Amino acid sequence: MIDTQLAALLSSGSFIIIGLYAAIFIDNIIKKIIGLSFIEEGANMFLITLAYRPDGIVPIFLPGMTPEWFASKSAYPLPHALVLTSIVIGASTLAIMLAIAMVLYNKHGSLSASVILGDKK
Amino acid sequence: MDLYAMIYSSIKEFKGNIRKDPTTNQNVSSAMAAELTIVSTVLIATIMLRHLNIMLTVLIVLGLGLFLITGMPLINKLKREQNDSLNKMMFYMILTLGILVTSIYWGFKP
Amino acid sequence: MNDLIPLMVIVPIIVAILLNLFSKQNTTVKILSFLVAIVLPIIPILSNYGLHYFGGHAPLIDNGNLLNSLPSYISDGALSTFHIGITYSFESLQRILLFFLFVVGFLCILTTLGERKRIPGSYMFLMFMGLAAVTAMLLSDDIFHMYIFFEIAIVAQVGIVLASTDDLKYEVAMKYLLLGSVGGPILLIGIGFLLGLVGSVNITDIVYAVKNGLINTSSPVFLFSFGLIFFGWLYSVGLPPFHTIKSSIYSKAVPSGSALLQALSVVIFISLGITIFRIYSSLPLLEVFLIFFSLSGMILSLTMAIMENDFKRMIGFLAVGELGYIGLGFGIGTKLSLTAALFQGLNEIIITAILFIGFGVILYLTKISDITKLGGLIENNPKIAIIVLLGGFAMAGVPPLNGFQSKLMLIQSALNDNLPELAIIMILISIITFMTFMKAFHSIYLKPKPKNLIVEDVRVPRSSIFAMAVLIVICIVLGIMPTLVTNGFSGFVGGLI
Repeated sequence: MIDTQLAALLSSGSFIIIGLYAAIFIDNIIKKIIGLSFIEEGANMFLITLAYRPDGIVPIFLPGMTPEWFASKSAYPLPHALVLTSIVIGASTLAIMLAIAMVLYNKHGSLSASVILGDKK
Repeated sequence: MDLYAMIYSSIKEFKGNIRKDPTTNQNVSSAMAAELTIVSTVLIATIMLRHLNIMLTVLIVLGLGLFLITGMPLINKLKREQNDSLNKMMFYMILTLGILVTSIYWGFKP
Repeated sequence: MNDLIPLMVIVPIIVAILLNLFSKQNTTVKILSFLVAIVLPIIPILSNYGLHYFGGHAPLIDNGNLLNSLPSYISDGALSTFHIGITYSFESLQRILLFFLFVVGFLCILTTLGERKRIPGSYMFLMFMGLAAVTAMLLSDDIFHMYIFFEIAIVAQVGIVLASTDDLKYEVAMKYLLLGSVGGPILLIGIGFLLGLVGSVNITDIVYAVKNGLINTSSPVFLFSFGLIFFGWLYSVGLPPFHTIKSSIYSKAVPSGSALLQALSVVIFISLGITIFRIYSSLPLLEVFLIFFSLSGMILSLTMAIMENDFKRMIGFLAVGELGYIGLGFGIGTKLSLTAALFQGLNEIIITAILFIGFGVILYLTKISDITKLGGLIENNPKIAIIVLLGGFAMAGVPPLNGFQSKLMLIQSALNDNLPELAIIMILISIITFMTFMKAFHSIYLKPKPKNLIVEDVRVPRSSIFAMAVLIVICIVLGIMPTLVTNGFSGFVGGLI
């Protein structure tokens, strides 16, 4: 079932494309932030996909397994650990961005990025 | 029109553009310095292409020099492109990303 | 005393959290941050060179008993040399840079303590967190660990900007974060590609795999990872197309905060730059990319700086433009040029801090940052004017100050490497730097005083003067005796090439 991995890779790629599209073409700042967080999610999904192994098992060494069998079957655990950290970082950045967006809305009364984040603004 | 007159008239042109500001003298001299820096450094940097091909370098330097001097009030255009608007920053960022990835992908291919 | 290595990161983080807890108690915050900031520079001096394995996870090859019990395809292969946990490596580069970073950090914190009556603990939290983050980036031998602390440093930088009183701070912080939410993940994807190729995120392991032909260095995946990581690096350091936002970030923070922000950026530049150089030095186009982006950064930032009328923005652009010199040193890629680049990075941390703190005094006294509305301030405080002038000389590369030594080394390395054009451009750019600085200096200090300029009748905080004096003494000492640090740097570079 290599298709699962391919599908995950393609969807992570499309996440990133959607994010880049949002970065340029969407003007509403909340939508822009949501779109940009897609890039982050795409990157996380890409990392997770690297760890996938067709017909793999959870990387826990249990009694009764031989090292050779375990090595040939277990998924790669490192990317999972990395993604966990990266999700936390992404969430905190997102929180700050949304908080600043609130402040900006109160200040300018608008959510349009070209109005509140234009030149000399 | 010879080259000297062209440079002179272009300097007069951007002096006119800046006249709205209160300190014309200082702004014009800094604009001129910036203008000359851009032209000279870009031309000198282009000479580094000689490591690839000497003929090509001569052509590019001559062409670029002519292009830079004829389009002379460059710094106003550059300043307009490098303002603080988010849309401009995003545009140049994505443009750079595209160029970087594309040129690396094709540039390194054996 | 190898155990001190992780303390360089742990101490600032713990103090940051404590300061946030005691945020309301002004005296506690002041005493705690002062004491810790003064202790921090001592740690790198006392610590010994070496590696620190987190959790004690040394590579298998260092662990004889375990190695013999494993099957031969592990114990004989490259896997036995791979690093299992996060590794910190502490060498001469780290010792020198961290010492000076902590000194600059201490002086910035001291200036902040002197300028404000009430210090919110959360602001100090951000300063210490930023210091801890870049320290971890410099020490870490793990590229993902670097990415995480890079993002933490970004958040801390944004926080420092938000703590200022500038009208446009929210807008600028928002732009920085929005651009960062493209730049950061792109860097992460690049790291993902490397992880997919090598199976490890440890830089030494990746370099081992590249050097020993374990991976195909002409494969599109490797090249793609280079492109993405390079782009992330451009974002992290503020080379084009990010020079406008980076200078804008510098100009919106409180000046003592900006002094710290630029120091953080320079350390991020050096740590990620060395990583890129180590992993991708086999790619022939690496030099071209480094030189191209550094040159465009220098030219665009300097021309913008000279057109600017706001002195905060002007120094911001100058600071970004000077980064190009470090990039050029990496781009030329010889032993001399790399040493010079590291030396230049160190000098820039110190010199830009002087300029930010020195011009920050003007802002403190007049609340004006537009140079057309200022003038004649030399009669108010001539001592500060002289220190700032010396700082500007150091930045432009006037002997016998430290900027001169590093720029001379860079120019020599460019000439030795058959790139005289770069040498000419570097000289031209330093002339323009000098001109830009003199324009600001003349307008602020020497021009006749405008009639409507009101200078507040407050004393300049003694801490600011002390900070500038210490920094200028460092400039002069390093200018006269550059071998104090260049020996350490060239020792480190020797292990790199």
